[in-house]
Amino acid sequence: MTGKRLRTVVLVAIAAVLLAIWAFPVLWALLTSFKTERDVLAYPPTVIFTPTLRNYADVLFGSASLLPNLLSSVIVAGVSTFVTLLLAIPAAYALARLELPAKRASGFYVLATQMLPPVGLIIPYYLVLQKVGMLDTYTGLIVIYLTFSLPFAIWLLVSYFEDIPREMEEAALLDRAGRFRALWYVILPQVRGGIAVTTIFVFLNAWNEFLFAVVLGGNRVRPVTVAMFNYISVEQTLWAKLAAGAMLAMAPVILLGLIAQRHIVKGLTVGAVKGGGRRA
Amino acid sequence: MANAGRVSMRGIVKRHGSFTALHGIDLDIAPGEFFALLGPSGSGKTTTLRILAGLEPLDAGQVMLDGVDVTAREPGERDVAMVFQSYALYPHMTVYENIAFPLRMVGTAKGETDRAVKDAAAKVHIDHLLARRPGELSGGQQQRCALARAIVRKPRLFLLDEPLSNLDAKLRLETRVELRKLQRALGVTAVYVTHDQEEAMTIADRVAVFMDGRIVQVGRPQDIFARPATSVVAAFIGSPPMNLLPADLRDGELRVAGVPLPAPRMAGRDGPITLGVRPAALRIAERGLPARVYLVENLGDTTIVDLDVAGQVIKLRTEQAPNVREGDHVHVAFAPEAMHVFDPATGQRREG
Repeated sequence: MTGKRLRTVVLVAIAAVLLAIWAFPVLWALLTSFKTERDVLAYPPTVIFTPTLRNYADVLFGSASLLPNLLSSVIVAGVSTFVTLLLAIPAAYALARLELPAKRASGFYVLATQMLPPVGLIIPYYLVLQKVGMLDTYTGLIVIYLTFSLPFAIWLLVSYFEDIPREMEEAALLDRAGRFRALWYVILPQVRGGIAVTTIFVFLNAWNEFLFAVVLGGNRVRPVTVAMFNYISVEQTLWAKLAAGAMLAMAPVILLGLIAQRHIVKGLTVGAVKGGGRRA
Repeated sequence: MANAGRVSMRGIVKRHGSFTALHGIDLDIAPGEFFALLGPSGSGKTTTLRILAGLEPLDAGQVMLDGVDVTAREPGERDVAMVFQSYALYPHMTVYENIAFPLRMVGTAKGETDRAVKDAAAKVHIDHLLARRPGELSGGQQQRCALARAIVRKPRLFLLDEPLSNLDAKLRLETRVELRKLQRALGVTAVYVTHDQEEAMTIADRVAVFMDGRIVQVGRPQDIFARPATSVVAAFIGSPPMNLLPADLRDGELRVAGVPLPAPRMAGRDGPITLGVRPAALRIAERGLPARVYLVENLGDTTIVDLDVAGQVIKLRTEQAPNVREGDHVHVAFAPEAMHVFDPATGQRREG
């Protein structure tokens, strides 16, 4: 066996192990979601069983249907992603292009917000939202999400904007586009890979968020992550329903990922500027 | 509008912090002229072009286009088009969309745009590539696409920032000729930035030579070649450029490295001078400056001989292969009228 072949085999083996570690919980949940609660607890675990759709039916249309919670999640994650992008794109563009005095300081501030353990902010946020009467409201929860996602999105997008050569705007300005249309027609299409990546990150964070949702929301605003927690109680854990809920909660994110991926690949299109290496 | 394109720049000053990039540039360009801004990198030529385009704010001075003060106008309000060194094509658009973009931005009708795009593309021979994206074009084709985007809207002023520097040598020579013909055919004023003196000399009607943020000479290429205004210009123009040697002028007699040489009648003071002689004006002779052959570069039709004259290397260019070898001791001579005399302190040309 040549060294090159050995290398390939070892690499494939490592990849297989990593894939197995990553895929195991997902596969387990997928299988479990089709089992009856009795099959779930069978020992040794059964791999061959009669699949049932009962769990999905219960989770979707039963007394504790997750549908309203899925809708809640869509609203919270969707609106906070939309608002984040709406504000982060112009902010990142400005930070990338303008000579601002507090440029470095603001960059550090963004990093600092990411260093803070979220648990430390729960009590202050709770008190603030209580004071302004926004506990358990969509607005309240979305605003809280924005405090994390906005700095992060700006920080991520700035690097994409910085990769676009300045001549792009200059050419657009000379082509009589003006500042705004230069951004819209020339710059934004070239950073759509970055926008797609940012969208995924921000949406995922908001979608999967549990801690703030359970403390600052809870009754009227009850995202799917919080609702799923109901299947775990002191007496018993309804594993099969939990797994079915998890599968349903994953679906929209996977869909978004697939859509965004197309744009990420498109963002890789070769640039026309010599030496203008650019990430997508 | 009739694209006249008369440019007038007055007292342009540009500073970057404490560094002054342009010390009061004055420049006049006539309509239809092909005008080159020539100089080494960092001499201010590109900054001047960018100020003309409106891409760079200036600290003092005035930019006039066809008699109108446009100093405070946005780039898009100046009716100028530019070809960037990097081409700056929009990578997400096809060639067609790239060329159509300047028309689309002013709401030109579809049919008219279509005609103009195809016309411009045909002029630079890329009409078969309209559906491609810039990333799928060769360097030369990208350059043509950038040209087409600039000419499509018939600007009154055409700015080119080292447009040929990313092309390989052969293509560069071909494109140079085409560019000149295109500009003639369109009758548009062109301002062309280059650091390549040969390019500037062959393509331009007139040249402004930039040095350290100042224009040191403006004129027709042949005039600049024949009478460089300073020793720095002399050392920049020509391939190889002019030889400069320290010399001494006393009582009408010229001495180079202690050797007396025949000199034309010189007006002006006696004393040390900088003597300039073009490589083509030098010849190997029986008498003259003693020199040692340092290197013989055979270029096929011409030969360049590097000569060591009192510790300084000068170049001689000849079309007849000289019968010398490295290490030979020879004499070099030149006609007195081929001499250029510069003040060694100021570098200014001294007329004789």
